[in-house]
Amino acid sequence: MTKTALITIIFLTSVVIGILVGPTPLDAQILQLRVWRVILGIFAGGVLAFCGCLLQGLFGNPLVEPYTLGSASGAALGAAVGILVFGAISPVLAFFGSLGVGFFVYTIARIEGGLLRDRLILAGVVMSFLCSSLVMIVMVMGGRELYEILYLLMGYLGIIINDSNRLMIIALIIIALGLVAFLYRFHRELDIISQGTETAAGMGINIQVFSLIVFFSSALLVGLVVSLVGAIGFVGLIIPHVSKLLFGPKHRFNLGASFILGATFLLLADTLSRIITVYELPVGVVTSLVGVPFFIYLYKR
Amino acid sequence: MIAFRAKNVSFRYDVKKVVEDVTLSLTESEFVGIIGPNGAGKSTMLRLMCGILKPVTGEIELFGAELSGQPQRKVAQRVAFVPQETHFALNFAVEEVIMTGRYPYQRPFAREKKEDFEAVNNAINVAAVDDLRKRPVNSLSSGERQRVVIARALAQFPQLLLLDEPTSHLDLHHQYAIMELLKELNARGLTVVIVHHDLNLASLYCQRLVLMHRGRIKATGTPHELIKRRILKEVYETEVLVMEHPEKGVPQVFLRSG
Repeated sequence: MTKTALITIIFLTSVVIGILVGPTPLDAQILQLRVWRVILGIFAGGVLAFCGCLLQGLFGNPLVEPYTLGSASGAALGAAVGILVFGAISPVLAFFGSLGVGFFVYTIARIEGGLLRDRLILAGVVMSFLCSSLVMIVMVMGGRELYEILYLLMGYLGIIINDSNRLMIIALIIIALGLVAFLYRFHRELDIISQGTETAAGMGINIQVFSLIVFFSSALLVGLVVSLVGAIGFVGLIIPHVSKLLFGPKHRFNLGASFILGATFLLLADTLSRIITVYELPVGVVTSLVGVPFFIYLYKR
Repeated sequence: MIAFRAKNVSFRYDVKKVVEDVTLSLTESEFVGIIGPNGAGKSTMLRLMCGILKPVTGEIELFGAELSGQPQRKVAQRVAFVPQETHFALNFAVEEVIMTGRYPYQRPFAREKKEDFEAVNNAINVAAVDDLRKRPVNSLSSGERQRVVIARALAQFPQLLLLDEPTSHLDLHHQYAIMELLKELNARGLTVVIVHHDLNLASLYCQRLVLMHRGRIKATGTPHELIKRRILKEVYETEVLVMEHPEKGVPQVFLRSG
């Protein structure tokens, strides 16, 4: 399929650009930094877009993204508290923030005898607001750490990798990719759920169990991403739509394409964030700045 | 052979009983209509029959096997359910929609097999939707879409087909076309159960009717036995006239106006 070849080429190009292009000349040390940045970019962009595609499919709602369900805000809150207390992003706190809020959202949405998907979205949005307020409080208390928290909220791929955190980061990435591979197997279920929950139930899909698996898996994935590179927005919302425009609605193609396109997009946005101004911009700023015009162009075409 | 048997089946949402103490059995290749006023429990009964809802008490058997002991995937290989109206959140091509009917037979990660494509082609031919197969499903009219959903159900290779008011949103032509299609499927040996609000269509096409009222089965019988002024007045609380269909001789219902 030519479209597949095309996005693969664009993806590989974005990897090369991500490694070669930057404000400083390339030497061994910079190369190492850039390679890590590219790895994190692929991981974060891919996972966020994948989760977006998954959740939009599950909820049959094109506005849902990882941040709608509260888990990203929970992770950001956990990470912000980590910065305040320990002076550095703490993956453990971010992770528990994400799962904690996810669990809370689930508890609110649960009703006698089942779980309503619309309630899940509403509960997620409400909890996001709560977490944002709490992050603001942390920022006000932070003072000196304000700048760092700001980058956390907007996302930043240039974290320092050293001997103390390298193994942990590799382990987290492997766990996340394993989970992505596991979730990919549900592409048929998502296709059927988009035709109505009764149809799905009649064909043997347990909607309750399936929703739970997808909801908590994506909370976990988003927790992993935010704990490493902060709350990068826009990718999870828009990339699944781009993928759908290019490959049609089937989740077999869409889930995979979302991952590749998300990774590509984040790599290019990160490269831009390094060269667009003298200061390095948070990558989350660039994703929206560049992504919105591109999306409008694609959507109106 | 007995296709379906329910014994003392009850179901309730919260505390309100929706289906109460229903005992019913269907023979293979029957064409059965479930009729009754709004809230009589018809749609719930249909969902109990295909395992979407589980009875609170009582037993349900499908082709001699207890329903509650079977995984829903296995049930879906024998029973297909067509909802009243299907909303497609994603704009699949028609043949992709029909392919999803193969889900009960597919393993995760595995590609579609030759027999899946054969089943889809067969369903497309039988439901006569060949000229629509590449079309985006949301570009179809409601009548065409209902045909596609029936084709999807046929791709499940069911022995029992359950339909919830399949013609309620359709114009005269599509009502006729869908009912003729079901009649043809039934002639090929498929057991068809249809929930119907239109008593005249039900009377015209169904061999047997099941009249439900307040969660219970009020009566079962042929259209001639059930479509009677006295029975309808009692159940629907409405005065009607019943006359014979000029060609088929089956009873048809007329409302009296003021």
